Amino acid sequence: MEIKKYKVVSSTNLIAKRLRPEPWLVILAEKQTVGYGKKLSHWFSPKGGLYFSIVLPKSKIEDLQTLTILAAFIVAKTIKDNFSLEPLIKLPNDVLLNQKKICGILTENIIGKEVKSSVIGIGLNTNIDKFPKELENEATSLKVELGKEVNNEKILKQIVEGIKQQLKTISE
Amino acid sequence: MKLKLRIRDREYEVEIKKEEQDKFKIKIGQKEFLFREEEGEEKISFARASLPKRDFLKKELLSPIAGIISEIFVKEGEFVKKDQKVLILSAMKMENEIVSEFSGKVKEILVEKNQEVKEGDILIVLV
Repeated sequence: MEIKKYKVVSSTNLIAKRLRPEPWLVILAEKQTVGYGKKLSHWFSPKGGLYFSIVLPKSKIEDLQTLTILAAFIVAKTIKDNFSLEPLIKLPNDVLLNQKKICGILTENIIGKEVKSSVIGIGLNTNIDKFPKELENEATSLKVELGKEVNNEKILKQIVEGIKQQLKTISE
Repeated sequence: MKLKLRIRDREYEVEIKKEEQDKFKIKIGQKEFLFREEEGEEKISFARASLPKRDFLKKELLSPIAGIISEIFVKEGEFVKKDQKVLILSAMKMENEIVSEFSGKVKEILVEKNQEVKEGDILIVLV
């Protein structure tokens, strides 16, 4: 698995879209300054969290829709399997824990005559100690829930491998 | 004489004009064809055969998927290059950057921000 690591980026999706690299390259950042979700809504991305984008191989747009949902499922499964927590998927692209957001997923495509490039961006609140007041009731992290740090790299690898497997099952 | 023809949900502007005594000009979109009165069907069918079918469709940007227009980056009258980002279409929580398939001048923008579109809807017409 090829991972391009950055200390700080604007957004891993923006980098992935601009670079247009080979499929399955992972853009990983310790921190995002303009992390965003759908309709450019802000995604709180301080150091400690897991922020990455996966460059997807060219796929049909219908498959990409399905993949976004499957990615949410994979994140939820990874949380459940590793930490015996009970995450809930808010379809199609958020994962909740105790009714609070723990992960957001945003797939972005560039489409001309056909799909030119696709990236799936995942923001998972892993080792975030504290959220600003306005987010306290809406967001949580694995560290807040478990009371201990988790291994970001291990979680990253499980999620990327999971998505790879899922894409195989929905497209030929 | 100007006509609007609708073929399979697409509209074409057709203009028929008498140029000189026995000459006619038929303009379809931006393409022009000249005919002489005495040149009968033969010439017309030749013209039809030589008319690349794609030209009618060529400069329309269609919606690849049903969704909502969340941002428009171009204005009517503006020139766009091939692969230039023209709008963002949100669909199924995916953000889709629509880039132009062609270079050309924006003749018409048929959608507005927050409008719902269906797959295959014409978004932007270029000339």
